[in-house]
Amino acid sequence: MVNYSFLCVYLFDFQIVNVNFIISLQLFFSYFKDLVGREVTVELKNDLAIRGTLHSVDQYLNIKLENTRVVDQEKFPHMLSVRNCFIRGSVVRYVQLPPEGVDIELLHDATRREARGG
Amino acid sequence: MVAGLRVFTERSDDGAAGTPVLDTANGEELMHVQPAVAIALGNRPPESPGTLYISTKKVVWLSDTERTKGYAVDFLSVSLHAVSRDPEAFSSPCIYTQIDTGDEDEESESSDSDSNEPLDLSKITEMRLVPSDHTQLDALFDIFCECAELNPELVEENENEPEHNWIFSADQLGPNMGLEIIKQPLLRGCLIRLLPDGVDQEWDSPQADFIIGQLNGTHDLAPHMLELQINDQRFEDAEEMETNNRNGDQHGM
Repeated sequence: MVNYSFLCVYLFDFQIVNVNFIISLQLFFSYFKDLVGREVTVELKNDLAIRGTLHSVDQYLNIKLENTRVVDQEKFPHMLSVRNCFIRGSVVRYVQLPPEGVDIELLHDATRREARGG
Repeated sequence: MVAGLRVFTERSDDGAAGTPVLDTANGEELMHVQPAVAIALGNRPPESPGTLYISTKKVVWLSDTERTKGYAVDFLSVSLHAVSRDPEAFSSPCIYTQIDTGDEDEESESSDSDSNEPLDLSKITEMRLVPSDHTQLDALFDIFCECAELNPELVEENENEPEHNWIFSADQLGPNMGLEIIKQPLLRGCLIRLLPDGVDQEWDSPQADFIIGQLNGTHDLAPHMLELQINDQRFEDAEEMETNNRNGDQHGM
């Protein structure tokens, strides 16, 4: 097995206060799993942004979307017809989450715990 | 590994057209064969007839009539795949794929290419596979998913490396907020942007960003990290928290 550790970084408000947290893979993986069924937007490194319902996510953060639509339809007209797609985790630049699907406190606490070494 | 699409001509001699020679010594196995599949590269017209071979490592299309004609792409280079059924996007229902050419600056061949130009496979960023049996599309999609998952990113092998080797701490950050990053050679950044309630979703106004890394190639991550400018009251206590942590550390936590 390859060792997949995950890293999470916050930068705070232009000061030189930087807090680095290590987040375990498990945390993020399960975090994404909890978002299954929600609407997310995935932006790829080639600038294509696809919005859709999160169908599934695996340990490599490969993402399957359903009911997809392309955010910038003029630039990527050929993707219009696609209703479901599989996106390789390595080409994902951003995942935009639904605000209601984000439990800031939970994430905050979890990262804190991780930063303290568990 | 060769990024992107390539010519594939290694065929066995069995049958009229032969089958692709796979790297069985390294565990490559044939997962699926789909006869009567046309292939369209970029904006070029479909080529047919051909047969699609899906192995645990790559997608191979071989012409049924010309033994020297065939293409292959590793699953590592298949960024995205989908079932496309809209006749306006393409004349026939197909498996639509995007291919990572490993060349981020180049204009993609597919967008404006003239079909008369000589074909440069390494610049092809889109490939459509058109089975004459449309009912197989969903099954093909699932096989693609399965095989993609069999081919995770090549991450460094040395598992014994202590984790903190690739974690950069606040201490490593320069006084001007420069981010001094990461010795880890294989770093892939993934940035998660959180948007607050009630704000229309716009990429340009981040409120809180998370980077997670699964990691390959420091060059990707650095620019994203520098983009971050967070002004978020929710994390106001973090400075204090960190101080506490440090105090804690001094007392042998």
